[in-house]
Amino acid sequence: MKGWTGYILRVNLTDKTWKKESFTEEFAKKWVGGRGFAAKILFDELKPGIDPLGPENKLVVALGPIAGIPAPNTGKVVVAAKSPLTGFYGDGNLGSNVSSQLRKAGYDAMIIEGKADKPVYLNIEDDKVEFLDAAEMWGKGTYFSNEWIYKKHGKNAGVLNIGQAGENKVLFAMIRSLEGRAGGRPGIGAVMGSKMLKAIVVKGTKAIPQADPELMRKLGIDGLKKARELDQTSGWSKQSTNAVLGWCNEVNGLPVQNMRHTSHPEAHKVDGERLNDARIATYGCPSCTMHCGITIHDDEGRESELDYENIGMLGPNVNVFDLKKVGSLNYLCDDYGLDTISAGAVLGFYADAIEHGAASGDFKFGDADKAKTLLWDIAARKGEAGNLLADGALKAAKVYGKNSADYAMQVKGLEMAAYNCKSIPGQALAFGVAPIGGHHREAWIITFELKHSKRESYGPEKAAKVIELQRIRGGLFELLPACRFPWVEVGYELENYPKFFNAATGLNWTLSDFWAAADRAYSMIKLHYLREFPNVTRKDDYPPAVWFDKANADTEGPQKGVVLEYDKYDSLLQHYYDARGYDKRGIPTMETLKKLGLEAEAAAAAKVAALN
Amino acid sequence: MKVTVKLIGPLIYEGGFSEKTLTLPRAMTAAELSAFVKIDKKRPTIITRNGKAVTSKDKIADGDRVVISHIYSGG
Repeated sequence: MKGWTGYILRVNLTDKTWKKESFTEEFAKKWVGGRGFAAKILFDELKPGIDPLGPENKLVVALGPIAGIPAPNTGKVVVAAKSPLTGFYGDGNLGSNVSSQLRKAGYDAMIIEGKADKPVYLNIEDDKVEFLDAAEMWGKGTYFSNEWIYKKHGKNAGVLNIGQAGENKVLFAMIRSLEGRAGGRPGIGAVMGSKMLKAIVVKGTKAIPQADPELMRKLGIDGLKKARELDQTSGWSKQSTNAVLGWCNEVNGLPVQNMRHTSHPEAHKVDGERLNDARIATYGCPSCTMHCGITIHDDEGRESELDYENIGMLGPNVNVFDLKKVGSLNYLCDDYGLDTISAGAVLGFYADAIEHGAASGDFKFGDADKAKTLLWDIAARKGEAGNLLADGALKAAKVYGKNSADYAMQVKGLEMAAYNCKSIPGQALAFGVAPIGGHHREAWIITFELKHSKRESYGPEKAAKVIELQRIRGGLFELLPACRFPWVEVGYELENYPKFFNAATGLNWTLSDFWAAADRAYSMIKLHYLREFPNVTRKDDYPPAVWFDKANADTEGPQKGVVLEYDKYDSLLQHYYDARGYDKRGIPTMETLKKLGLEAEAAAAAKVAALN
Repeated sequence: MKVTVKLIGPLIYEGGFSEKTLTLPRAMTAAELSAFVKIDKKRPTIITRNGKAVTSKDKIADGDRVVISHIYSGG
């Protein structure tokens, strides 16, 4: 087997032991790496129904055959566990030197199990694993702990760490790395905190195995050069992802006031142009060719790294239209280790619930100062509101009652990203069928809907587009893993990625092979869902009720009176299921599972719930 | 004929403005207006007129608000 190291590091925090385990070539080819490895490992090793915040849960850190090798944007790491936010498999990716360092240490993945009896951090150096005292970092934010680690272990180390939110088991706590940014939206940071694991530090000195190192080096360097050129030619990095804020505002897709509104006259105050004007610097992940993080000084003079999702959700979604204040909210989320998308959604939900008489409190839309206080209350689980909101919008809505779940902006418990889709059916579907809950990573089809289809269409072309993009974004890029931005934003050709993969592994894969692997990983995640929720229905793939509510339609503008329609959305969902080979519940059929070589996994799932 | 044109993202730096009201010398299609404000024809764009997407051949009318954007992909 070439390309993969062939080893997984298994660490047990309870008894402070570790071992190096090999995996087969068959496993490698079937699951590729990243999300594929994580979904398979967790399916095999976790019993359904376990407490995601108990010692039975496992944290997986997974890489793949091109991870850490110099090539466009290969500095990514997938982190995964049973999510405490959604109750089934959850994952995310983030940039970190762990990508190269763990591979240089000789591993393609790491499984962390058990629970330490006091705060620890792991120090991995090649074949050595140390369980070190984290007392000096415990209770501190991610900026402090990451810098503390750098001082002790050097800046070349790969670092994954959590803030107070992870320690306090906030259900949307992230894992952070100053070498990139944050990942693990569905509370993977809380899983780390539940294990009393503050950080993971990795350094390796071995060569990353490659079938044809010379070819890989040439392809990688050429690729880095080409991807950088494309970024510079396009001018994308001037505003990075936040250029889309102004566009969303123009086409009535911006999340304003807990997604009650789709545009706002003050949106220009937080748009890409303002961000570019205010920029101090840009940041990217290891091997990055197009920095997506733009830093500004926040209203307390700190350097805060912004992009569209965190501006959209911590800005317009809570009616804050002051970029420095948005920067401040973002800085606090990053430091506490809160997911910025969920934090913005939860704040918006709370203000909305107060307005609608479901919740009590003095927080109002637009009150950035109170929002700062609330973020700490959430991260520390302080007070009744902070403790409840720390469980995410859906769980809070279930306590508040009064139909507030209708406007908890989530799918399967995971808060949706910054696109207001009450008049954009295809993207609403993309959120609905995202395998881990309301994530934008899997598919984003809004420009396709407007330019190449009809916005109001619920036709099969939209379901097909969602699947096409899921295979690329949630499949190829999450399996390798690598950042999708060079392809998705500046047109770096997709065909380059099989070339990298083949140079690293000696295989002869085409994109079609990746689509099959992607479908397999998606089906694996759906079996996780079935096993945890045997009474699954297609309603689980619906976006929130407020997007279907005429009373919530725009009252002016080109989308006046338009909301999603239940029967049409359901038919769009069926188009998706038919094309995927899923049954009427949205679960892969036996025939589909067989085609993907998942007979054993199907048999395991069938012990808990019926398959069709 | 007067129209308001808003450019999004990197097009601002290509066209040299963010938003302005223009007096057009003649009737134009969306593609012609895009060229008129010096957006490279080779660059894939999405154009909306009064909030709704139009094709390159659609005509622009007096008083329209036209937004020309790089094609985004949702990050």
